[in-house]
Amino acid sequence: MSDQQQVAPDRPAQDDDADLTTEQTREERAVAAASGAAVAPHTYTVASGEWEDLPDAVEDDLMVINMGPQHPSTHGVLRMVLTLDGETVVDNKPVIGYLHTGIEKNLEYRPWVQGVTFVTRMDYLSPLFNELGYCLAVEKLLGIADEVPERASAIRVIMTELNRVASHLVWLATGGLELGSTSAMIYGFRERETVLDILEYVTGLRMNHAYIRPGGVVQDLPPEFAERVDTLVSELYDRIDEFEDLLTGNPIWVERNKGVAVLTAEQCLDLGVTGPVLRATGLAHDLRKTAPYCGIDQYDFDVVVADTADAFGRYLVRINEMRQSLRIVTQAVAQLPSGPVMVADKKVAWPAQLALGPDGIGNSPEYISKIMGQSMEALIHHFKLVTEGFAVPEGQVYTAVESPRGELGYQVTSNGTNKPYRVRVRDPSFVHIGALADLTNGLLIPDVIAGVASLDPVMGGVDR
Amino acid sequence: MAGSGSGNPNMASGEATKLRAAHLPEAQLSEQLRAVRDNLVGAFDGMDVIGFRGELTLVCPPEVVLKVLQHCRDDAALSCEMLVDLSGVHWPAGQREEVAEETTGWPRYEFGEQAGRIELDYMVRSLRHNHAFRIRTMLPDDDPRMPTATGIYRSAEIMEREVFDFFGVDFDGHPDLRRILMPEEWEGYPHRKDYPLGGVEVQYVGATVPPPDQRSY
Repeated sequence: MSDQQQVAPDRPAQDDDADLTTEQTREERAVAAASGAAVAPHTYTVASGEWEDLPDAVEDDLMVINMGPQHPSTHGVLRMVLTLDGETVVDNKPVIGYLHTGIEKNLEYRPWVQGVTFVTRMDYLSPLFNELGYCLAVEKLLGIADEVPERASAIRVIMTELNRVASHLVWLATGGLELGSTSAMIYGFRERETVLDILEYVTGLRMNHAYIRPGGVVQDLPPEFAERVDTLVSELYDRIDEFEDLLTGNPIWVERNKGVAVLTAEQCLDLGVTGPVLRATGLAHDLRKTAPYCGIDQYDFDVVVADTADAFGRYLVRINEMRQSLRIVTQAVAQLPSGPVMVADKKVAWPAQLALGPDGIGNSPEYISKIMGQSMEALIHHFKLVTEGFAVPEGQVYTAVESPRGELGYQVTSNGTNKPYRVRVRDPSFVHIGALADLTNGLLIPDVIAGVASLDPVMGGVDR
Repeated sequence: MAGSGSGNPNMASGEATKLRAAHLPEAQLSEQLRAVRDNLVGAFDGMDVIGFRGELTLVCPPEVVLKVLQHCRDDAALSCEMLVDLSGVHWPAGQREEVAEETTGWPRYEFGEQAGRIELDYMVRSLRHNHAFRIRTMLPDDDPRMPTATGIYRSAEIMEREVFDFFGVDFDGHPDLRRILMPEEWEGYPHRKDYPLGGVEVQYVGATVPPPDQRSY
């Protein structure tokens, strides 16, 4: 750019070229361009007062901006291509797949039991729900759904409901952080850790437990489980009250969430949206009530609803759902039946007896000495079942559980071999991504963040 | 062992087909699902009924699927407000047995199909009546085409994109049929049975990464 071109137009021009740049209006330049004449490069300066003449990106044109996948507030590697009119979103095209690991394909190459190890890694905030959904499907295919011991079912309920609390706490923490509430983040993650301590105490792992297996659970509860859960539950009731004190009346929190990202009941049903988002519209649809699994209907709990259909309603639903989950946990621990935790059928039940040692879960010394030292048949059985697994009859089933995000469905097809023929996971987060455009259209960019946070998608589940 | 199910791990692969008996429509369906079955079988010709483990599956030709879905949504007795799930299964043609040696166990995929097919499963659910069932259709796998269901259930939009991505089913009339989980330029349909699990070149725009076993790093 030459010096002359930067001269403000009201000063005398130095030569012809500069003349051109200052005196040609936008229309004249367009005409000149159309007729093939030379069009001088034009420099707009602020001093000249030529705002009227500026090509107006804000008024005339829509702007397309890219949000994510590395944006700290998009809740994981979610990328949204936003079309903006000013600062108002007119379209939102989500781009996903950054975490795609082909878990569904991998499942087809491993025996049925090993599938648990894969599915627990999909939606990493609710691993136990993934395991439960998958195992219920395998049990249904095997036709042993009624044979799962009551104690195993009760343990499954306790563990998944604790998992729901942990998941909602992460939602509170990350959602809070995205809206600028660092306290919610710190407290949310702190409380979640106390829940994960219990899960670790039972399964040996904080996450990716592989605890629920086809036919039951991998091992019984440790001795002090009931006391520790009681302590945790009473503590969590207090902490949830604290969250409500911190956020429910907080003017900033209310302002950021109330009336934001409304999704009506009709839209939710049309778009397949389930879980807290659907319940925030006032529709009390909860698979724990309508299609109960693991005998969860024998416990006394309420389906929490709100009637605002906005981000604030979803917040209230999730907060109160945590209380209901704790109610279920208290009842289930109090009524915990005794008995085995795995089906009696030795052709299905995982043979390894694990024991929780000081350094985590490992093989039980008694069991190892039995198969290595005493019983050749037990060793052969162990080897066959662990390496080859069991065959599952031909057929296709669909089982669904109410995960913290909504309906988590497993569409499992078997062709009669020891491996799944096809496992399709209907992950609620994935379906909810399809509702993003409806959720965010018409919002301002900061409200998009509140809206996505209130949807609580987990990209591990979306991309699988 | 009460269920016909839990198989013997020593069961030869061919024996699995004997278990087909479990697919007969007489298998236990609830009173409610029987009413659904009667409703749909009465309304449409050429419906096959499968009852398995208490689940109802209605198999119909591809041309009528949309009409059936529309009926499921609008009929007061069915009132299926939600398309819960849409998924595919690939059944390739030919008689062959696949043995994957690199994995534990001895997998045997027996393919006994006359012609390769892509199975589509539409899972619909009614909140009002609290029932759910499956509409199934079969498409040829060499040129699978299907009219889109987005006009009936908008949730089909994202699910059809996934089926297109993984199985290559062309949904006519879909507003935005692009790959969704795989990169847009990816070649091949990963969930088809003839697509290998590993050893596939990683395709990027302007570059490729060789399969894991051929890498120098």
